[in-house]
Amino acid sequence: MNRQLFRASSQKGITFGIVLIFLVLINFHIMAATMISKLMGTNVLRGAIPEVRFLTYFLVFFGIWIGWSAASKSEKAGTRVLQGLVAGLSMGVVVALFDLILVYLLQTQTDMRRYLTNLGFDNINFFLQGFGANGILVHLGMFVLSGVVGSVLEIFFQSEGVANSKQAVRNFLAESKDQILDRLPDLVKKTGKYLFYLILLVLLFMLPSRWGSYYNFVFGLVGLYVIAGIGLNIMLGLSGQFMIGLAAFFAMGAYSVALLNAPQPHGLMWGFWPALLIGILAAVIVAILMGLPTARLRGDYLGIVTLGFGEIVRLLLQSDVLSKFTGGPRGIQNIQGPTLMGKPFNDVTYMYLILICMAVSIFLYYRLEKSRTGRAWLAIKEDLIVAQATGVNIQKYRLLALCIGAAFAGLAGGIFAARNLFTGPNDHTFMVSINILSLIIVGGMNSIPGILLGAFTLKGLPEILREIENYRLLVFGALLVVMMLVRPEGLWPASRPNLEHEVKEKIMKDKALSEEESDA
Amino acid sequence: MKKHVYVSLVVLFALLLASCAPAAAPAAEAPAAEAPAAEAPAAAGEPAVCATDDYGCAKIEPGQTIKIGMGSPMTGGDSAFGIDAENSGKIAVADFGEFEGFQFELVAEDDTGTAEGGAAVANKFAADPTVVGVAGHLFSGASFAAAPIYEEVGIPMLSPSATNPDLTKQGFRVFNRVPFTDALQGKAAAEYMYNVLGFTKVAFLHDSQDYGKGLAEIAAAEFEALGGEVVELLGIVSKEADYSPVLSTIAAKDPEAVYFGGYTQDAGVITNNMKTTGLENAVFFGCDGTFGTDYLNRTAANGEGSYHATPRTPPDTPEKAAFDDAYMEAYGVGPGELSPFTWNSYDTTTALMEKVTEVAVLGGDGALYIPRGALVDAVRNLTNWTGISGTYTCPPVGDCNIEGPQFWVVENGEFVAVN
Amino acid sequence: MQAKKESPPRIKRRNYFNIIRTIFGILVAAYVVWRLYTVLVVEQQYTPDIWIRLLIAGLIIGGVYSLVAIGYTLVYGILFMINFAHGEVMMIGMFAGYFFLEATKSIQTASGLNFSNAHPVITVLLAFVIGMTVASTTGFFLEKIAYRPLRKAPRLIPLISAIGASIFLQNAAQLLFSPQVRDYANPSVINRGIGWPVTIAGANITISYTGALTFGMSILLMIGLYWLVQKTKLGKAMRAVALDKKTAALMGIDVDAIISRTFIISGALAGAAGVMWGFHNGITYFYVGFLPGIKAFTAAVLGGIGNIPGAMLGGMFLGLIESIAPTALGISYQLKDVIAFVILIVILIFRPSGILGEVLSEEKV
Repeated sequence: MNRQLFRASSQKGITFGIVLIFLVLINFHIMAATMISKLMGTNVLRGAIPEVRFLTYFLVFFGIWIGWSAASKSEKAGTRVLQGLVAGLSMGVVVALFDLILVYLLQTQTDMRRYLTNLGFDNINFFLQGFGANGILVHLGMFVLSGVVGSVLEIFFQSEGVANSKQAVRNFLAESKDQILDRLPDLVKKTGKYLFYLILLVLLFMLPSRWGSYYNFVFGLVGLYVIAGIGLNIMLGLSGQFMIGLAAFFAMGAYSVALLNAPQPHGLMWGFWPALLIGILAAVIVAILMGLPTARLRGDYLGIVTLGFGEIVRLLLQSDVLSKFTGGPRGIQNIQGPTLMGKPFNDVTYMYLILICMAVSIFLYYRLEKSRTGRAWLAIKEDLIVAQATGVNIQKYRLLALCIGAAFAGLAGGIFAARNLFTGPNDHTFMVSINILSLIIVGGMNSIPGILLGAFTLKGLPEILREIENYRLLVFGALLVVMMLVRPEGLWPASRPNLEHEVKEKIMKDKALSEEESDA
Repeated sequence: MKKHVYVSLVVLFALLLASCAPAAAPAAEAPAAEAPAAEAPAAAGEPAVCATDDYGCAKIEPGQTIKIGMGSPMTGGDSAFGIDAENSGKIAVADFGEFEGFQFELVAEDDTGTAEGGAAVANKFAADPTVVGVAGHLFSGASFAAAPIYEEVGIPMLSPSATNPDLTKQGFRVFNRVPFTDALQGKAAAEYMYNVLGFTKVAFLHDSQDYGKGLAEIAAAEFEALGGEVVELLGIVSKEADYSPVLSTIAAKDPEAVYFGGYTQDAGVITNNMKTTGLENAVFFGCDGTFGTDYLNRTAANGEGSYHATPRTPPDTPEKAAFDDAYMEAYGVGPGELSPFTWNSYDTTTALMEKVTEVAVLGGDGALYIPRGALVDAVRNLTNWTGISGTYTCPPVGDCNIEGPQFWVVENGEFVAVN
Repeated sequence: MQAKKESPPRIKRRNYFNIIRTIFGILVAAYVVWRLYTVLVVEQQYTPDIWIRLLIAGLIIGGVYSLVAIGYTLVYGILFMINFAHGEVMMIGMFAGYFFLEATKSIQTASGLNFSNAHPVITVLLAFVIGMTVASTTGFFLEKIAYRPLRKAPRLIPLISAIGASIFLQNAAQLLFSPQVRDYANPSVINRGIGWPVTIAGANITISYTGALTFGMSILLMIGLYWLVQKTKLGKAMRAVALDKKTAALMGIDVDAIISRTFIISGALAGAAGVMWGFHNGITYFYVGFLPGIKAFTAAVLGGIGNIPGAMLGGMFLGLIESIAPTALGISYQLKDVIAFVILIVILIFRPSGILGEVLSEEKV
């Protein structure tokens, strides 16, 4: 086994070892062990320490993972096992060193929790799996063994036999799918797509009243973020304006509905729908105020200016100076929402409202994208100077994009405030803008399924997965980085017809055809 | 294209799975007064009281735990409050022990201190039939959004720190809180400064957050009503690291004292900055948010002579000392270092558990039945209940702390009670 | 054939946006002048010593902002990306200094004092060194993991990656060290709140030791950086890479290594800023880098992005504005951030490339 492979494997092992130490220091391993134990049936009370064997499963899994990833496909079996061994050994050494420190802390009874909050003695004993000082050697052995096992598994799963059987299964599935599709009646084949949408529609109609108010709440939130995300997409994706201050528009919509529909601070009760319209209008006005002075700014500058605007709006809402008008840091409570035939909306009707608004937004988005305005935006985004040369009024269209996007965000904000019955300056921080931005980029910019998926992943899943609650934001940050590294075009990227590519292909095909003819 | 189909199928599957997984929670449907309240007795052994209770009963099967919820910011800039509350709550649950063979469990959820989070957590708790009470929420904004949801399903709230006065003016049956309102503390502080300390020129600062601003404004108004001069009423930007500019500006007006509504972090910075901005001789007068060893550590000698407030605590009881030791041992930091509401959280969790044991009935089938309406009323009717942080009486609207604050002065690096 | 600005060539026609802009500018100027007049001439409630205090506070904060802003500008000039995680690098440097000071607090020396009090000078210097080292290491790994693979991607992608890295670092710090807000244990000689009493303009002003330390170190580091960039080979290489990566590579410069070194230097500066912040203000917790990060980036843009003297100027300018403007304009101190952002917007409207103009490579266009 040559030097390079050795270095690569040991580096991998060391990296994994450091990652494991980090996870231990943030108590992630306890959460993982808890999850494993729940999966296997043993329930663990919140905050209690699960049994040690679940930690063993977790650590072994880690070791197998590193063994697997260290073994590279191109080498012979013997080398691969060695790679797994080396990786496991390096990781084991790193963890063993860490264990040495832990044992020292235990033996001198030094309480480090003032500095590293999870190094309590219970935790240390748990990580050493109850073996105390012997835990060092136990860990070392465990990682070496599981590294080897991992590489063996890799050999097995990547071997010819397994690959062949995988291919056979795939072929079988494809064939059976084709057979089933052939056997379907013609009617279904023709209308398949429409049937799918019909089923989806029926589900969407029935689910809100069935699945309980918690899911209505969570998916309602997802829906609102989708609407705001479509707004941001119009500004950022369709017309290329770098905007990170969406929270300002959202706040305008929310506060308009709130101020005009609550007993304090003004005692106005103008009704939800007029207030919503006013909210959208207010958002558009703020967009104009934001767009006019900044029309000449380049991308990143525009971003920082819009960030500034977002913060200005929030700070003004919170300030003493305007608190008689906006309610100050206390916020506005008891917002009256819309009523349907005398009864105020409950969570089910809100869900329907949000679904309708989502449908309208998606429809508008598609119409805009394909309209003349949409093409003008595309031109501005792709090449500013050429667009100007072709007679597109840059400033007008940019402003239009800002206004329309702001309107969507204002709509979402208004419904948001009414649904929560309360809103305050802390609901409209910079993080809201960041969330919406991340959502459309992780989901896939310029693609509606992408935005839906992004909203669900970034807003819906963390609510549902409250098990990993404390680590929610940590995972969110890591997810953003990983997504950008692995799949920057988004989870469900837009499929834009690539005319250049099609033309090139056609030319190649024609060329190939003519060559055949000349050969023949 | 294939990948997209797979992804959408996965998402659809996940949605369907999610909608099927939890038992359709009957507690989530609004059991409003107009619906026929009498449920057919589900199983033999359900006590009669459940049929007449306006919210019905929570049923805890043998093997399940009685859950006490907690909503607080556990991530983000204010996470110290949430983590501290969870720590206290866990000790409270451990101290309380079992009841009729059933264990209590603390379920602390992150509401980020905002209305959005508060509503999300409230919905989650409302959908879980084994959550019977909530020791929260910690922040007023979240409490506002959460209370109507709890009101619908009958989960009582006992908040250790939500001080927005309007919370108890909404007519909620379920909302109660143990800290004194800003109205009470502000008035008492103004009176103390004017009558006892004899100040006539005071500058009032707050941290621009709900709690601090309300407090400072009331204190300033009361001080002025008494005849004092409010030199300045200003908000600072919270969690900044240097307040010299604003303090220099205040120094120009020569106040005798600086009253601050906010928490220890900003209070520490302000106290330190006061020494270098011309306010060396002014007295720092804080509130219950600024009280704690945290403040002493931050300000060292600069904090001498400053005033702070707490609820009227019984003199250091053995229970309090035991709690302090338990906290330190379990978490490695002292109580009160993460947030000033450590003791309040312990008490609210304990009080809720106590009331549960008072109203719960063991059914014939071995399950525990907790009539929700009775629990809501029991929590509201807390009278002269003494915990480690004070004595509380909640009727009629849920403001449980009607005694005024106790003031403390820092002498030789320690807190000394002055009234 | 280079157009340095993205805006279209100025067509000589009556553009009504320009008219609106001019009117806007006149309104703003009028407001400022009126407020200044009211506060300074009419009400006159502030004696000169107040202004001097404000000036001192502004310079101190400005120094910190400048250091962090230089970090942003270095990275932007080379990579055209906003390093959102820079504030977190500062926070990590701050924590490193904190742990070091806690360690020195517990070592007892022969004279009965702890190490920190017995040898304050060494303690302070070592705190800086350690803070800067840890921060630059963090910067190095940040670049290696989160930015290097994305170098060829469209601009938005590394930005999201930076945001993700920032959130990750913040929460990692919260989970590792708990959200407890900690205090820097200064050697008692330079405790917060004590300083030199000076008499200026007839009033007693205290120049705090920590403030002087902060300001002094900032100036020192800025001079050091300027020398590094202008007079050393590494600096020349950095400028070359910032100007034109491809040609620099052709000239034999290892572009990857230079970019790594830029991150290391910017991280070191942020770490120093963090340690200073810790000494002067004492507040240390996981969220502390967020707001200064945004403000420092604002300062960098204000001075002209990519422009190192611009970043220094922008930082100082922002610090002074934050300190003096609320009082000078008679606006509540609570709105100081609003003032800062408004000034940013106003300056960018009239001078879209910042005060000293931007220094960017031709690739950008």
